[in-house]
Amino acid sequence: MAEPLLSVTEVVHAYGGVQAVNGCTFEVPEGVICGLIGPNGAGKTTLVDVVAGALHLQRGTVRYAGADVGGWSPDRLARAGLIRTFQLSREFRQLTVLENLLVAATGRIDESLAGALFRRRQIAVAERALVKEARGLLEIFGLDPLRNDLAVTLSGGQKRLLELARAVMAHPRLLLLDEPMAGINPALMGLLEAHIRRLNSQGITFLMVEHNLGVVDRMCEPVVVMAEGKALAVGSMADHRASDAVVTAYLGRGRPA
Amino acid sequence: MELFLNSIGFGLVTASILALAAVGLTLQFGMTNYVNFAYGDFMTLGAYLTWTLNVGLGWPFWPALFVGALLMAIPVLFISQFVLEPFTRRSGPTFHILIVTFAVSLILSNLILAIWGGDFQNYNVGTDTPINLGPFILSVQQLGIIALAVTCMVAIHLLLTRTKLGKAMRAISDDKNLAAVTGIDTRRITTIVWVLSGMLAGLAGGVLALNVASFDPNVGVTFLFVIFAAVVFGGIGRPYGAMAGALVIGLVVEVSAVFIPSAYKLDVAFLVLMGVLLVRPAGLMSLFERG
Amino acid sequence: MPHDLNYYLATLAVYFLVYCVLTLGLNITFGMAGIFDFSYITFMAIGAYFAGVAVLPPSNQPGLQWILGLNLGFPLDLLIGAAAAGVMGLLIGLLAIRRIRSDYLAMVLVAVWTIAWSVTSNMIGLFNGQQGLIGVPQPFETQLGVNPNDYVFVFIPIAAVVLAILFTVAYCIERSPFGRALRATREDQDVAAAFGKRTVRLRLTAMTIGCLYAGVAGALTIEFLSAMSPNAWAIVETVIIFSALIVGGRGNVFGAVLGALLVRIVIIEGTGLLPTLPDHPELIGATRNILIGLLVIAVLYFRPQGVIPERRRRYFEARKPAADTSQEVAKGG
Ligand SMILES: Nc1ncnc2c1ncn2[C@@H]1O[C@H](COP(=O)(O)OP(=O)(O)O)[C@@H](O)[C@H]1O
Ligand SMILES: [Mg+2]
Repeated sequence: MAEPLLSVTEVVHAYGGVQAVNGCTFEVPEGVICGLIGPNGAGKTTLVDVVAGALHLQRGTVRYAGADVGGWSPDRLARAGLIRTFQLSREFRQLTVLENLLVAATGRIDESLAGALFRRRQIAVAERALVKEARGLLEIFGLDPLRNDLAVTLSGGQKRLLELARAVMAHPRLLLLDEPMAGINPALMGLLEAHIRRLNSQGITFLMVEHNLGVVDRMCEPVVVMAEGKALAVGSMADHRASDAVVTAYLGRGRPA
Repeated sequence: MELFLNSIGFGLVTASILALAAVGLTLQFGMTNYVNFAYGDFMTLGAYLTWTLNVGLGWPFWPALFVGALLMAIPVLFISQFVLEPFTRRSGPTFHILIVTFAVSLILSNLILAIWGGDFQNYNVGTDTPINLGPFILSVQQLGIIALAVTCMVAIHLLLTRTKLGKAMRAISDDKNLAAVTGIDTRRITTIVWVLSGMLAGLAGGVLALNVASFDPNVGVTFLFVIFAAVVFGGIGRPYGAMAGALVIGLVVEVSAVFIPSAYKLDVAFLVLMGVLLVRPAGLMSLFERG
Repeated sequence: MPHDLNYYLATLAVYFLVYCVLTLGLNITFGMAGIFDFSYITFMAIGAYFAGVAVLPPSNQPGLQWILGLNLGFPLDLLIGAAAAGVMGLLIGLLAIRRIRSDYLAMVLVAVWTIAWSVTSNMIGLFNGQQGLIGVPQPFETQLGVNPNDYVFVFIPIAAVVLAILFTVAYCIERSPFGRALRATREDQDVAAAFGKRTVRLRLTAMTIGCLYAGVAGALTIEFLSAMSPNAWAIVETVIIFSALIVGGRGNVFGAVLGALLVRIVIIEGTGLLPTLPDHPELIGATRNILIGLLVIAVLYFRPQGVIPERRRRYFEARKPAADTSQEVAKGG
């Protein structure tokens, strides 16, 4: 492998006077589940937003899949296979669960106005295939019985699952997950963990922000530790536990390791 | 040159009316975080309540204006508590409350039409003598309007800075959730501000109707978007911004009438409104603030 | 007497058909894409005026002044009216479809209406000012030579054909991936973009289609009534169209049609049947608007999705829940 799938170099983002990300540098090789940990306010979400194009890249470079993607819009990045989830679930509330997945399949069905009017047969064929794929995914995530319910009616945990299923439906090459395990029960956590591993084995690269260090320990390699807007260290969790700097910045705060 | 200076005089009068209205609108926005599109009709209602006291009961104009503004508390309390509040409590999509304020505007303006009729009306204020004040020629009534606005602005400043209520209002306006956590009764304060906003609308509507000499049930609505311009110019939700915006927009509107056909003078305000919203929704005043 | 009743009902039918065009257009802009187009009625007016000056001959006397005067016939005038409204809609959309709060957008768009209204009323040379366009020839009026009292029966099929086409288009959009993408941007623009949707382009398209519909409705209006003046497109008309769509059910073509029926026919015509008090001619109009206002508030409170809610579509499913066993496939990457 010549170049890592994602490389973030000296990235800066400030909200007004608050330097949320302040010269952050690290790389994500293709095929890994990379962890991104750090105390609250370290700038993890901001970094995800910058990488996904949702926030303006103020300084530094972001390279993805061999291209300098600084300044790309979120939709362009998404079409290039860089998909992200949100720290708080953001489902399309008034669409059904199944439709939430269908919407994610950008580029695999004709979404133009002309198509809507003049290519209805081709669209029906493509849609049949998409529905089949989407229902397969929903089945795996245990959401298929709810496929015709409005997404707004799902429980918090179900929304988390939907969020992941929808992201997978987009056929991502790199998936950025912002705290996928936040606020869900341990049983569901195990389920999500298994899903992520399986998807990874199918070739999706992950960059995962996570507070639950147990999960990170089991799943992620490498792990990037962020503090005060910088990547403090990159390595395995074992390395980090042995590092004084990391322990004082984060692990030393009494979090379960 | 004389025309120009005179237009500044008129500009100050318009700015005074605007300031009363804009501060009322913006204070309410600060509490509820949505725009009240029925505000123009609140003003019209104030104008007609004043008219009933002034012409119907024969009271002098200024007492009629103040009592009319006080009476505004009743309909505004009803609308805010029984019509708008149920929707805010339910926290549905934001557009619901917006449509509801438009519907309230539809209902209120047509109630006014049904009660007072669609004819043009005047206040009973007797003849007015113009006074030369340096370069400006203004009537006693117009001086009264300016004096009222200045008094109210000073009162609002004192309210915001010197009283517990004002401090609570500012806290809610900055961050409603945080304010609630620190023990402020946001519901009660919001209700009080609705009443305050309604009274300011009443005062503004009355002096607006006085200034345009004869008025009909559209008097408030035609002025509403000039108020929006002033409010948005100063950054919506900020009372001092609204005062500054009122001064600027009032002057711009009247002075522009020197250079372009006066039929278009209000459109200048709308252009400012669109420009500010599209370029800097936080308001031009936010350029001068830190952080 | 029977002729009068027929004439009255036929006129009602025309109003209803035209109003359906309006609600169907707003259903795309607001119902599906969630754009608060509070200048909507402006585009109806643009369509009407441009269709009018397309049909009228060049103006030649003071007191009757307008631009163009192309002397064209139906349906070219309708196409010109629709195109003018669509182009204006696109331009305003470019200006207004930013990421600003919906209430700010509403203010900007109402300001657009205000400026358009004031310019049309004051610049006499444009569309004859406050008086508006009058004496616009009706489609096929001269060719058919029908009695003016019977003309409405000629116009019903014209309006019905136009509506049938536009209803079909709206129906196709509602059930297409395009429509689904519009609804997704309505729910959350950021997330739609995060899944690769070109949200600005989608929203602009929706805005333009809605304006095209409004333009067609305006063209039909001026063709039927032969006249259009600023009084016919006060801002309250936009509020009433929004009310109709919300009551009927936004996001659903049948809801849009039902809203047109309930508000344009039942309420507006129904209150027209009330007895007039001689001293208070304005009471009927006031009652009608108060009823509309109360109705929309009640619907938003008790049935926020409208009478016919947005369709929850089932994809390729038999009506009976048939046993479906072939779902083992999961295609990940
Ligand atoms: N929208 C915002 N405006 C201003 N400051 C923000 C905003 N979002 C985050 N911040 C600040 O930026 C810093 C980093 O936040 P964030 O990226 O959310 O961290 P993390 O996800 O690691 O908890 C924090 O100090 C936070 O308060
Ligand atoms: Mg975070």
